[in-house]
Amino acid sequence: MHIDRYERQYLIAVAAVLGLFFAALVSSALVFGVRLPQPEGYINPLTLNRTVFANPGMRNMGNGVYDVYIVARMWAFDAGSDEKDERGQDVLRVPVGSTVNFYLTSADVTHGFIVERHNANIEVLPGHVGRSSTRFNEVGTFHIQCHEYCGRGHQNMYIKIIVEPADGSAA
Amino acid sequence: MQAVQPRPSSAPALQFPKLSALTSERWLVGSFVFVALLAISIGLLLGPAQAYRRAPALRWDIPVFSYYYQALTLHGVLNALVFTTFFIVGFAYFVTQRTLQRALASVQLAWASFVIMLLGVVLAGYAMLTGQANVLYTFYAPMLAHWTFYLGLALVIVGSWVAALVVFMTYFAWRKEHPGEAAPLAVFALLANYLMWFSASLGVAVEVLTMLLPLSLGIIKTTDPQVSRILFWFFGHPLVYFWLIPAYVSWYTMLPKQYGVKLFSDPLARVAFLMIMIFSIPIGVHHLFVDPGISELAKAMHSLLTFVVAVPSLLTAFNIGATLEKAGRARGGGRISWMWKQAWGDPLIAAQICGMLVFAVGGVTGMANASFTLNNALHNTTWVPGHFHTTLAGGVFMTYIGILYWLLPMLRGRALFARPLATAQVYTWFAGILVFGMSMGRAGLEGAIRRTDSGAVGAYTSEAAAPWMNLSAVGGTILLISIILLFTVILGTLFVSKREPQTAAPILVRAPDESPRWTENWNVWVALIIITNIVMWGPVLFGALNWVSGFWSTPYPMQ
Repeated sequence: MHIDRYERQYLIAVAAVLGLFFAALVSSALVFGVRLPQPEGYINPLTLNRTVFANPGMRNMGNGVYDVYIVARMWAFDAGSDEKDERGQDVLRVPVGSTVNFYLTSADVTHGFIVERHNANIEVLPGHVGRSSTRFNEVGTFHIQCHEYCGRGHQNMYIKIIVEPADGSAA
Repeated sequence: MQAVQPRPSSAPALQFPKLSALTSERWLVGSFVFVALLAISIGLLLGPAQAYRRAPALRWDIPVFSYYYQALTLHGVLNALVFTTFFIVGFAYFVTQRTLQRALASVQLAWASFVIMLLGVVLAGYAMLTGQANVLYTFYAPMLAHWTFYLGLALVIVGSWVAALVVFMTYFAWRKEHPGEAAPLAVFALLANYLMWFSASLGVAVEVLTMLLPLSLGIIKTTDPQVSRILFWFFGHPLVYFWLIPAYVSWYTMLPKQYGVKLFSDPLARVAFLMIMIFSIPIGVHHLFVDPGISELAKAMHSLLTFVVAVPSLLTAFNIGATLEKAGRARGGGRISWMWKQAWGDPLIAAQICGMLVFAVGGVTGMANASFTLNNALHNTTWVPGHFHTTLAGGVFMTYIGILYWLLPMLRGRALFARPLATAQVYTWFAGILVFGMSMGRAGLEGAIRRTDSGAVGAYTSEAAAPWMNLSAVGGTILLISIILLFTVILGTLFVSKREPQTAAPILVRAPDESPRWTENWNVWVALIIITNIVMWGPVLFGALNWVSGFWSTPYPMQ
């Protein structure tokens, strides 16, 4: 099969560019530690009260690491917080510089989970536990939204995480 | 309709009129095109309506379909599933007959495919229009729609299988009479398209028939959302290539004919189609990068193969680019000036070239989507619809319009109505889709979420995303103008135009001598499709099955 000289050179360039892109991706995962959700365990959504998700909420694991267990259901994230916003939805607070491991599951339909301006993104499926970690380097209030259509109240399904200055003064 | 019976293989070739269509073509292809146009007459208008709803400066209610997610379901299903499938099946019948210069192997089966698909649309349309299927066009379990929605979509797919069978039968009859001759490129590509489509749609067929349909009928009580998503996206990515290949058929075989030049490389075009056919299925996990039930290794592997499926499109960029260079030089262009010495005033050609330019943008944003770790920042933000409005609503749809502007006059037997309006339609669509795609993409990077009624009371749009969402409504307005122009041209051609049609179908009836015959080893390709998918999807499916509680989840109604 005849391949034109220029086209052959072009194909080599294409292969090189794509190879470079993929190498960058692999190093983003292996060198810089960017991870994706992967199987963390199965769970029966009808009996969540017999699992760790019976008591959703934030656990301080020390050294600036927090584990947060959240149950998504139509149409709220239950992060177990005592503090609520004006809509009655949960508010989380962490000091700046914290690393937060989010663990999510759904009690009903498929939901989504995304933290504004941070690389934490999970499809929240009933039956599975989704995990995503992110570090909060910036003081401010960030919305945590459901990003998978889950019914009539989907657009109102969001909570907030407030990242406070390290000295504990109000954000 | 003029009855054309299945014929013995020694039958004489059909004589096609140059500027118009046979009665049999007119009815069969015309029926498919008619349903396709009916679908987008609703589906397209819901696009700008949603942009106005989501723009923080407007937050307008959507006319007629006030429930945002009902409008969104209709927009997705009518445009992306109904319009595309009907247009492609009708187009494939037309191109197969004209290219092989023979009647379809079975006109009865061809009509059966239409009736089955139409019945499907009626059933699914009933469920959607009555608000009993507000589940979006991905219909993720365990949210449920009325059973007519699933049965309807299943029938559309089954009908398209019958259509695939008819095209393959016609090809094999032709093949028997033309041993040693390569199939013309257009038919070769459509065969590859149908083979890919059939293989891929097995996934969604299994999902609908074993999970969603029995669930919606109450026959089974539980399901597994992760498995249903995997089966859907086994189908979902090749679906976009099913839309794309007919557009490529136009670029590779019709554009050169319209320009009167020869395609730069026929053999590499075939390689591109084969690569799309084989590599468009084992990459679907790139839609599931943040799903909890799939390993990071599988995600990385599917990401890698997604980069491989970029190769045929990059091959296409070279091949079509070189062909356009020939055309531009023939029109007096030089080393550089061939680029703008194109037939910009011809809507049939301008629609295709503008489509290619928008599609290039979509290709680049698609590479970002394919990058597995980047997905943390992009998944389910408006970046994603920004991307696929430049590919599907950009490259693919603009090319379909370019096809429609010669096909519709042939089927109707009248010249294209108001050619300058058609040209204006092409450029308004080009501008509108670029503005819309870019603004949705930027809004997504600023955290705006896709598929969300952000115009509703209490919904959140970040301040950084708001100006971009407002700009997307500007894009929607330009597109709305283009939609009005489009339907003016279509209705004018159907009902007002009096002149005889003036454009011949740009069909190439013979492959060039250098066309390789080995590309038609369909048995080998089928085997390769089976093997790659067992390797790439087997572990994903097996690993996602919920071994703890089985198929457990209770279904929920759709609202």
